[in-house]
Amino acid sequence: MLIKLALRNLIAYKKRTIVTVLLTTITTALLVFSTAWMDGSHQTMIKNAVEIYPGYLQITADKFRDSPSFDHLIFDADTVSQQLSQNQDIATFGARFESFVLFSANEKSVGGMLTGIEPEKEQQLSRLYSSLHSGDYLKTTDTNSAYIGIELARRLKVDIGDEIVFIGNGADYSFAADTLKIKGLFQTGLYEFDASAAFIAKPYFDVIMAADNYATHFIVQPKHPEQTVELAAQLGETIGSQYQSASWNQIMAELVKAMEIDSLFGYITLAIIFIVVFFVIMIYTLLTVFGRIREIGVLRAIGTTPRQIFTILLLESCVLALISVIAGGLLGGAFAYYFELHPITLSGFEDQFKQYGLAVSAIPTAFEPWTILRDMAVMFTLSVLSTIYPIIKVNRYKPVEAMRHV
Amino acid sequence: MFKTATKIGITSLLRRRTRSALLILMIAVSLWGLLFIEGIYDGMTEQMIANAIRSDSGHISIFADGYRLNPDLSRWIENTIELDEFLNERQQIKSTVARLKQDGLVATAHYSRGIAILGIDLEREANHSHLEGYLRHGELNFGERQRGAIIGFKLAKKLKVAIGNKIILSAQNSAGEMASTALKVKGIIKTHNMAFDENAVFIAAAKARELLSMPTGISQIAISIANEGEIASLQQQLQEEFPNLTIKRWDELYPALQQSRVLMAGFKQVINIIIFSIAALGIFGVMLVSVLERMREFGIMLAIGTKFSQIGIIILVEASILGCAGFGLGALAGFSTLYYFKIYGLDLSVFSSALDEFGLDAITYAIIRPDYFFTALAAIILASVFSIIIPLRILKKTKPVDAINAI
Amino acid sequence: MRYRVLLLAFMIGMFTANSGANSNVNEIIKKVENNLNGETAILEFTMRVKNKRTERTMKMVSYSSGKDKSFIKILYPGKDKGITFLKIDNTMWQYVPRIEKTIKIPASMMLQSWMGSDFTNDDLVKESSISDDYTCTLLQESENSYQLELIPLEDAAVIWGKIIMEISKQYYLPTTVNYFDEDNTLIRELTYSDIKPFGDRFYPTKWLMLPQEADKIGHQTHMEISAATFDAEIDAAFFTKRALKRYSR
Repeated sequence: MLIKLALRNLIAYKKRTIVTVLLTTITTALLVFSTAWMDGSHQTMIKNAVEIYPGYLQITADKFRDSPSFDHLIFDADTVSQQLSQNQDIATFGARFESFVLFSANEKSVGGMLTGIEPEKEQQLSRLYSSLHSGDYLKTTDTNSAYIGIELARRLKVDIGDEIVFIGNGADYSFAADTLKIKGLFQTGLYEFDASAAFIAKPYFDVIMAADNYATHFIVQPKHPEQTVELAAQLGETIGSQYQSASWNQIMAELVKAMEIDSLFGYITLAIIFIVVFFVIMIYTLLTVFGRIREIGVLRAIGTTPRQIFTILLLESCVLALISVIAGGLLGGAFAYYFELHPITLSGFEDQFKQYGLAVSAIPTAFEPWTILRDMAVMFTLSVLSTIYPIIKVNRYKPVEAMRHV
Repeated sequence: MFKTATKIGITSLLRRRTRSALLILMIAVSLWGLLFIEGIYDGMTEQMIANAIRSDSGHISIFADGYRLNPDLSRWIENTIELDEFLNERQQIKSTVARLKQDGLVATAHYSRGIAILGIDLEREANHSHLEGYLRHGELNFGERQRGAIIGFKLAKKLKVAIGNKIILSAQNSAGEMASTALKVKGIIKTHNMAFDENAVFIAAAKARELLSMPTGISQIAISIANEGEIASLQQQLQEEFPNLTIKRWDELYPALQQSRVLMAGFKQVINIIIFSIAALGIFGVMLVSVLERMREFGIMLAIGTKFSQIGIIILVEASILGCAGFGLGALAGFSTLYYFKIYGLDLSVFSSALDEFGLDAITYAIIRPDYFFTALAAIILASVFSIIIPLRILKKTKPVDAINAI
Repeated sequence: MRYRVLLLAFMIGMFTANSGANSNVNEIIKKVENNLNGETAILEFTMRVKNKRTERTMKMVSYSSGKDKSFIKILYPGKDKGITFLKIDNTMWQYVPRIEKTIKIPASMMLQSWMGSDFTNDDLVKESSISDDYTCTLLQESENSYQLELIPLEDAAVIWGKIIMEISKQYYLPTTVNYFDEDNTLIRELTYSDIKPFGDRFYPTKWLMLPQEADKIGHQTHMEISAATFDAEIDAAFFTKRALKRYSR
């Protein structure tokens, strides 16, 4: 009965209905889309930063993270490897051996990082392969072929086919040096990385660096990247106390925090928009409710209780809010979905993104139904809340006053 | 006429007190929020840029040709006298600093790290980079014998050194030989420019010349000018006068920061449009209803000979009063808020480590630009004017008689 | 007032004590340096580098002239054979036959470990000049030994806060050298033992370097000198860049 009345009223007072619905719909859509955009860009940034090289999950020897010396290596890579391969939640994993060396070519010497990788596995673990700039990527059987960063090549003034040498220490601290032939150049977009990193196939690395069956760390690619934290905890327990497993949000804590700040400011901005919308809805409700004050007076006079009137008016708001929130959620969701599939490209801003470890300028939005529902709930509450003050105010009038209200 | 219109306007606004108050409040709150966002965000962007300009590039930096690609001692600015003369003649130049740079090694008994050695002149730096504002511990003084060093806080943390501790600097000198010197940490600074906080050791210019065997020559001259608008023309002049030097603007050296500024400007525009559109919708609703419910009133006025334009003016005055009151209140609230944050700053030290990532201080100082207020005023006036167009057209279509008989 | 008089008395006391001892101490140090370096020296030695897991042995020969010039060649193991080092003043080059290349060790590598040992490149370069870089005071004197405290001069580019050196009175050679940082934390300990005669001179044939920092515990470097010739004429050609490759074989 009350619902019927409420619905009839909504149809009768079209202007309020339209404005409120439009406003709430658009705001909901805006909220849904902004959240999807923010989450999407943050996820992209983190995903990029994580996937370019560090990986979602790293296994190191217990003390390596605090004191990364060759005393704290993984000395039995095969056993770790076996253990990891039994875990059902791991998609792939691979061992790396990083060592700081001196690269030299053309009378120029540059300190940098030489890393032995498992080339085939690495294709799934990082973006090294897809960051190929020119030349070729590594093969497991490669010997002294190096895959080096484009900026490093520039600093050493070398190109594909040229030779560079390195000197450094092997895993047993013995002296190590070799000539490497440049097989390929990569460009991840991260200047520091591109300016100091070089890779060779691990089997050969192990020979020249006396690192057979050793690794500085393992990179683990979880089957479900969103459950990395749980997987890290689980591996931490099963893999033994001499090892440590860390997820990306531990490895890159600062970046995660930077994204939090960015979200915080995003929400502050949205909050200000919401306050304005809140007021506008309140004003429109006030206008319509007071436009109907005589009618309300009559209703009261014929014996309708204030409570019933309150319910009717609140029901109207709820219906309006519900319709608009659903419409807005669908609209915003549709946009979020579309732009997840067709990422927005902000070309021309690459440098700024690089600063935060984002090497591409295409940013997909994050289409996440639960987040959309959360945003819809927030908007519904806001929208209904904003109508309460006018409704209470109009209910305070005595029937006679109301009927005479001009 | 306007007096009467104002009177009528105020009276009718007072009759609908709740509604008028709500509308004014809405405009005020939206303006306040908008000003807050603009002031704080601009404060952040400008702080990032200012940090980079102050600590490193100035508005314009001069390098020897090829230095940017291969920053070593074989490429330095030799002809500093002519350059100094040229720079001294330019009135628009606020300050210049010359720095000698070389990559080297800093070491303590426990740790060593590759860093950039920067030979600076503290007196000139004081006018230019205001290093004292970045000082966290100790003092900005290389000591009588110039054996002091100023290092970034991140480097201090990595080397685990405090004020008074000894550090050893080593570098290749201009003859290609290894040279070392012992220095005492005199000051620890936090510039929020990662390149400096983590990877630089500032020493006295004279000490650097001695260490590097460089009696003359300079790696970089950074120029600060009073009016940012003249950067490009000064760059051009310098380039014409000294074709053998590389002359770069700060935005060429830090393109990411320039992009931040552009992104931020775009972002603010979008927010402005969104907020004012919604606010305009609010004003429109109120004005529409207020015209509609006074149809009879206006009908009578028209019938007794009041001109339509006069009624238009009454309505316009009403809308303007609402808009201006909202603007006044909002501008006042926004201004006071921003003023507070301009003086005391917005403390975000909870996020300190992450702010470093952005090149930001823990405390952001708001910026107040007159154009925030002009734009807002224009937008509100525009919104008020637009909001009465439709109500007036409805009124115009209605014949006086119908209007009087309405309801 | 009383305090000031006391302080004054103390200072006078210290001053006289110092000036009395100083000439004596400096002579001790000069003697020690002379005994360690000689005009020229040709040393053949074995270096054993041990850490928690591994132990490696290297053999090498070094030629040095005074404090400023030295040339080192690795003789064993086979994989490192022929690697040569040249140090002139503060600059160091390395030749690696495997890559057929001479590399100048850049500033940023100076404090890296030398050949994986607990000595740094810098130790080789600045093995030097205690008498130039430090102020020495005699801490203790016993029947067989002096204990000296070496504090770096203000301008000296040394990373240590101080060095405590035990010197045998019999040979005027060091027995233990302890290196401290500025906070007086022991960083490493170098001991010399097994003094043997070579010609008219005595020389410690066993050197043991024990790093004391937490992350280096368990590491040690052992040097054992098997042959030594002092004050012989060494061809000046050893101390040129061309020697690196030439004498590599």
